Amino acid sequence: MLKGLLLSGTLMTLWVVVQGVVFHATAPRKAFSSMLGWFAPTIPLYLVLYWMTPANLGVLSEGFVGADWRLGLLNGLTVHVLLFLTAGLFYSHADRSITVRLLIELSRAPRQRLTLAQMQEMCGVEVLMQDRLDIMVRNGFLVSRGSRFVLTPKGWIGGSVGRVARRVFRMKAL
Amino acid sequence: MRGVVLAAGAFALLVLASAVMLRVYPGNKEFKVFLGAFAGSVVFYAAGFWVLPADLGFIPPAWQESSPAVDLGNGLLILVLVFHGYWCFAYFSCLSPSMSIMVELRRRGSDGMTESEALAIHGSDEPVNLIFRRRLPKLLKGGYVAEEDGAYRLLTPGQRVASLGSFLKRLINAQVGA
Repeated sequence: MLKGLLLSGTLMTLWVVVQGVVFHATAPRKAFSSMLGWFAPTIPLYLVLYWMTPANLGVLSEGFVGADWRLGLLNGLTVHVLLFLTAGLFYSHADRSITVRLLIELSRAPRQRLTLAQMQEMCGVEVLMQDRLDIMVRNGFLVSRGSRFVLTPKGWIGGSVGRVARRVFRMKAL
Repeated sequence: MRGVVLAAGAFALLVLASAVMLRVYPGNKEFKVFLGAFAGSVVFYAAGFWVLPADLGFIPPAWQESSPAVDLGNGLLILVLVFHGYWCFAYFSCLSPSMSIMVELRRRGSDGMTESEALAIHGSDEPVNLIFRRRLPKLLKGGYVAEEDGAYRLLTPGQRVASLGSFLKRLINAQVGA
């Protein structure tokens, strides 16, 4: 299994560097699509590298080389995909967190102090919703029909998943 | 293979336990429920690894990892990554403003929603938006901000989070004020 994990780790490190450069060079409007686009080639690359390299990668000791190669391949591929999804979530934390944005605005304010009215003006629901609606339209979850927004099939699936999840978890906004 | 199987079992228990606990938990620090369930799942995973046989009664020899340390670490890594995704999914599904819009639109069907209706869902008509009504008390209680003379002032822990957030936004080239 260690071979697959090491290959995945190496490819993920390369992807992170490349994606960081892409974010700074092109500032893509659809960030997740960009991440997926640059990550996708690492899958066949992983498979090719797994096939072409020796079981010990030239460095692993005997004790780490033993399981069926298919298990190592599949396990490494699973971890590879999970690492990508985790990276996507961390991007979302950094880019979309309302709380972090609020704290950043406070840190930039004179004497790091804001009234509630000032906070609501800077990052209240009006500002936030405009941004979120734009993003949802851009990413194909909503479509604008005149002054109204309606769900696309993709958005309908998302809303359905959310509806079920809310019934299961029952976490309330307040 | 043993680690992966045990991680799958530990995660299934984690989901069940957290779903049950969230229904009876009276407070609003749900992260404690998730972290508690995760801690329990790690204990279950480690205990299973220690107590159960290497083949778990069914794994063929060729599918057993030769290094117990790699097997243990691999399963734990998968458990951590899947738990993180699960936690984020739960929070996003229940608390995200975007998800609130999609759930409400799902209910309304082809009628759709205007932007002002979307704002009203989040309390735009009220003196304090829903967004702040949830977050400000938590930030006050957590010591990230302090309330003084009708305004909110950033405290040192809040400054640290803001600095980290700004750094991460610069790393991904996102607008620091967005």
